[in-house]
Amino acid sequence: MTEREPIAVVGLDCRFPGARDAQEYWSLLMDGRDGTERVPEQRWDADRYHAPPPASPQSTHEARPPGRTNTVRGGFIADPDAFDPAFFGIAPREAAAMDPQQRLLLQCSWRAIEDATLAPQELAGTETGVFVGVMANEWAYLHLTDYDRITARYGSGNGYFMGANRVSYHLDLRGPSLAVDTACSSSLVAVHLAVNSLRARECDHALAAGTNLIMTPVINIFYAQAGLSAPDGRCKPFSAAADGIGRAEGVAVLVLRRLSDALADRQPVYAVLQETGINQDGRSNGITAPNRWAQQQLIESVWRRAGLTADDIRFVEAHGTGTLLGDFIEAQALGELTGGRSGGSVALGSVKSNFGHAEGAAGIAGLVKAVLALHHRTVPPSRFADDENPKLDLAGRRLSLLKSPLRLPSGTVHAAVSSFGMGGSNAHAVLATAPRAVHRSRHTAPGVFTVSARTPERLRANLLAQADALSRRPENQLAQLCWTSNRVKSRLPHRAAVAAADLPTLVAELRAAAERAGASRKVDGGRRGAPSVAFAFTGQGAQHPRMTASWYRSCPSYARHLDEIDQLLAPHTGVSVRDLVLDGDAEADRARLAQPALFAVQYAMAAALDEAGISPSSVIGHSIGEFAAACTAGALDAADAARLVARRGALMDKLPEDGGMLAVGLAATEVEPLLSGRERLGVAAVNGPHATVIAGDADQLAAVEKELAEREVSLRRLSVSHAFHSPLMRPVVEEFRRECADVSDRRPALQVYSTVYGRALTGEETLDAAYWARQITEPVRFAEAAGALLADGVTHVVEIGPRAVLTPLLARLRADGDHTVSLHSAHPGEHAPAHRPQQLFGELWCAGLTPDWSLLYAEADRVPRRLPPYLFDDSFRSWRSGGAPERAEASAPTVPPGADSPAVPSGADRGESCPPAPAAGLPDSVAALTHQLVCRVGGHDPQRVHDHDRLHEDLGFDSIRVMELKTRIEDALPQLGPLPIEDLLANLRTVADLVGHLRGRLADGAAPAAPATSEGTR
Amino acid sequence: MAPPTAYLASVGTCLPGDPVDNATLAKLVGVDETWAEMFIGNTSRYFAVDLATGQVRHTLADIATTAADRALAEAALEPGDIDCVVMGTATPDHLMPATVNLVADRLGIDNVPTYQLQSGCAGAVQALDVARTLLLARRCETVLVIGGDVCAKHLETDFDPGSRTSAELVNYVLFGDGAGAAVLSTEAMGQGIAIRQVLNRLVGLGREPGQVIDWFGLGDRHSDRTAVMEDYKAIEEAVPVMARQMFWELLDDLGWGADGLDFLLPPQLSGRMSDRISAGMPAPDARRINVVRTVGNNGNALPFLQLDELLRRWEEPGRAVAVAIESSKWIKSGIALERS
Repeated sequence: MTEREPIAVVGLDCRFPGARDAQEYWSLLMDGRDGTERVPEQRWDADRYHAPPPASPQSTHEARPPGRTNTVRGGFIADPDAFDPAFFGIAPREAAAMDPQQRLLLQCSWRAIEDATLAPQELAGTETGVFVGVMANEWAYLHLTDYDRITARYGSGNGYFMGANRVSYHLDLRGPSLAVDTACSSSLVAVHLAVNSLRARECDHALAAGTNLIMTPVINIFYAQAGLSAPDGRCKPFSAAADGIGRAEGVAVLVLRRLSDALADRQPVYAVLQETGINQDGRSNGITAPNRWAQQQLIESVWRRAGLTADDIRFVEAHGTGTLLGDFIEAQALGELTGGRSGGSVALGSVKSNFGHAEGAAGIAGLVKAVLALHHRTVPPSRFADDENPKLDLAGRRLSLLKSPLRLPSGTVHAAVSSFGMGGSNAHAVLATAPRAVHRSRHTAPGVFTVSARTPERLRANLLAQADALSRRPENQLAQLCWTSNRVKSRLPHRAAVAAADLPTLVAELRAAAERAGASRKVDGGRRGAPSVAFAFTGQGAQHPRMTASWYRSCPSYARHLDEIDQLLAPHTGVSVRDLVLDGDAEADRARLAQPALFAVQYAMAAALDEAGISPSSVIGHSIGEFAAACTAGALDAADAARLVARRGALMDKLPEDGGMLAVGLAATEVEPLLSGRERLGVAAVNGPHATVIAGDADQLAAVEKELAEREVSLRRLSVSHAFHSPLMRPVVEEFRRECADVSDRRPALQVYSTVYGRALTGEETLDAAYWARQITEPVRFAEAAGALLADGVTHVVEIGPRAVLTPLLARLRADGDHTVSLHSAHPGEHAPAHRPQQLFGELWCAGLTPDWSLLYAEADRVPRRLPPYLFDDSFRSWRSGGAPERAEASAPTVPPGADSPAVPSGADRGESCPPAPAAGLPDSVAALTHQLVCRVGGHDPQRVHDHDRLHEDLGFDSIRVMELKTRIEDALPQLGPLPIEDLLANLRTVADLVGHLRGRLADGAAPAAPATSEGTR
Repeated sequence: MAPPTAYLASVGTCLPGDPVDNATLAKLVGVDETWAEMFIGNTSRYFAVDLATGQVRHTLADIATTAADRALAEAALEPGDIDCVVMGTATPDHLMPATVNLVADRLGIDNVPTYQLQSGCAGAVQALDVARTLLLARRCETVLVIGGDVCAKHLETDFDPGSRTSAELVNYVLFGDGAGAAVLSTEAMGQGIAIRQVLNRLVGLGREPGQVIDWFGLGDRHSDRTAVMEDYKAIEEAVPVMARQMFWELLDDLGWGADGLDFLLPPQLSGRMSDRISAGMPAPDARRINVVRTVGNNGNALPFLQLDELLRRWEEPGRAVAVAIESSKWIKSGIALERS
């Protein structure tokens, strides 16, 4: 690292007027759309503080009546009152006392970190820095006025100084955390501080943010009084029509890292911050006046430190407020540097043209625009560029105000961003395109996609969002996308996992999972103690041709362990058991090889799961399964176990095939009488209270079978070569005991539930030669041993073997014993899908375990790819509307869905001379009527239609429906007269807009009962 | 200022689903395995449609996007680095919008010129020609070139296997689906393979089309015109001659000798035909790169599949020539590459 190490922008999230996220921001910019609107009713009564511009230019004095602004428009973000307090574990009452800027910063931070392909929980406890630019403290004006009502929450809720700390607190970030206020340059100054902090290694990740919410008309009034306010509420930078500032809101968070770290982590990089700088214009020509020399010096020094000249800069995102003086000074300062440039002009623009001046968030709005432009290699146009101010002589200064998008060339491209503060604190940044990085992906590798959320309802929404995004991705990124989801989205309590080998299936399955999300169980985040996992090893009979071949293909760790155990077995079996299994050789079904094959498969499966962090604290094995269980428990060496299993199989294979096994639906005690007098029969296994296996001589078994069939007892012949665990096995016992003689009798490291004893091993008991010899003829006391296992409070049992044999037995015992254990079969049988390991990991994770996902992916597929960030619950609403300070009122903290709750300040009871709310009853009836008509025309469930729903995007209103709606409204409200369709189509986005529009029209003309409008402003 | 050099930066390909071998074809559509092997020489192919169920699993846009994404990843480029997209196909997903633009959208490419060529087997070379021309003219610096075809529309999966003539069955054995893509750049990325020449000539004056693929709409969907027609006799006669001509024209144009060629990528009609044509092209030391035998004739994708294989095998400095012949209205085309 060098002192000037480039800083990578790896993640971002933002909300600006007309744009709810970065994607919408980009399309707003590229389409050159206007994000401004009339001041929403929720903020304040626009008309009350509005005085239109003077009719004649002479009457300047009268043009600025005190307490008034000259505009009713501005750039406002949608749903600033929405928040998901439960997600962050914040009580609704506390959330209601929090400055909405804090709430928005929290959500944006979370999303930006996810966008950086990191799990926010991954940063918890690290020295991650938080740098927030903020200058609006309007919440405090509204909220901290009534001294008697100030509680502890009021202080921590004050966004101005707690904004950064709030993020650090809730995300547990331990690096520097500060709110920065340098007026309008605050957020770019915050970025500068973050860059320096990263370079100084104070932190390894930094969140650089900006925020601005307009809650009161205070600054509007100030701008108007200072002659800086544009009457149309729009900034028109560098335009002949420039006539002042329009105010705007915004929240944005960037995740920054040192470039070398980001590249080492293979993180996607949007763009690179090469250099940033700040200065002050000192004792300039008035504290609020911009200063050409200071701007020029700053830009020059930042470019010089970056090793660049004007020739290298392709475009400049200007401060560009659209005041005549400001534009002129900025053009002069820039032009001094660019005027002598070789080649063409430098492209110039300002995002303020799209929605206005976002004050504390203005610098970061420009920065995000530049970052996205470098990422997309296209610079969006600047609005009002087609009416360029000729007096600025931009062409002469080799500046070209962008009228249409500019496509950037290949290779490294540089851009610059300026942000200037009213008091003279200036900031400037130089950026470059991200360096190239190779991320080759393996062809069509499978994966498991994980989505988690705080609630079932959010799980559904997030599943759908992921499915939509994935449906537009290239197919070959499947494994990389899955791995990213494991890395970023696997830590919340409501979970869904989908394993797939191709993208269309994944998308369809995610949508299907969304349908089921309502029923998702909550995973306890480890608060009730760590999970305790048991492995249950299947016995003989579970084998089948090509068993778990899919594991060999799709789980590299399993393949490695199977190869390993195969080598240990080979000297004893004389063949590669692995090859027999993978080729589906019928030989593998004979006792001689079936036992080693089953052992090998179980050994590799258990080792792979253990390596993936699914580590058992106890084991249980059914018959031959006890050998792999003993290995897993550390009671047997793999080499010893391999030798014994091979020998055991070979010895049994030599016995005559004159026996059989019969599963009967009776208790062991009911079976005993049947065996008396039948010396060559015995109980081979007790699998459950009414599940017993009898084994032994074929003739004697047939007799028992006949007898039981007559009694209509349920029976099933097992397809086995020999009568295992029966008296017929006695001839091999002594030889096997000798084979076991040198086996160490060390204590197992895990709790072993012995199916020979039917209980857990205790004290000094070991799995010695005597045990293994006895195991051959003793019945398998599975029911007792498993009963003890479940009674000991194990939380998860994973059946290790090629088929689900023990799982149903365990399920029965679980039901009998009323246990809550979660049961899983590693490989359910021959019909398991080819990507079963992926599926199993997903299953275990949904059940609350935390597998190491990386084991499922080849190195080349462990490349993070951006996924849509978390979608928060927006049903909680809390806001304070900005009337005059003493009349500010909090809206109800939560708004029930569908309820109509305009947050209009009610001043009527104070008897003040302001335009009162429309006549009592009318607003609600208009809202209710509109709601009803919208639902009727669109066929919507009234419960699901909310005020903020957009008629077109959310409710599917096309022009035909709008026409129908118009007719219905006209019928229902004849006093309105005909509604111009152009108005409806052009201006009305949401149901609330429509309600507001209708109210406006009713108040304007059609409601003679309403009192006349305010004092002399009309 | 001397014109820049156009380089082949990377290649990516996509073959949908699992390979379908002749035994499977025999089972599903009644093709005789031995006949397929002997007369056509293709042993497997890939289909975007699941022959057993008739379900269309991938569109051309799907597989072209995947191929293009692989080419981008191979060249370490982001979608934003691409400043032009050219695609060739005979079987677009729709007549409008052009598939190239759907692919661009899926990749996240915007605000660049895009072109789609309605083209047959010479389409990939035509697309490479357009791309290289734009690069040499300095109109662009990094161009994504795509070719691909999907014949699902022409595969009937619900017929009685016994009822088809061998002429109809040929198509099942011969054709397949696939997509390929390449990144061309004025910067010597990747293995630094320069595209020295691209030629592309219509030679169909007065010649009946050797292949016709028709399309139908609401007005003529019940017409009894054949959807797909090939004149295999004409193809068998004309293609080897045209391939030789194009081969010589490329060499003469560059002043290269046939002895100096390290690789030859002959036209890929079918496994058997390609071997014959390849044998007739006099490049004694050139290693032949034929892929059609295992991937099937997937039209505009084939040259990319050959280039992909070429890049895998090309380790030393040397020269390579590829020839593609389109037998519809007869186009001969070729490309010459040099690795220094």
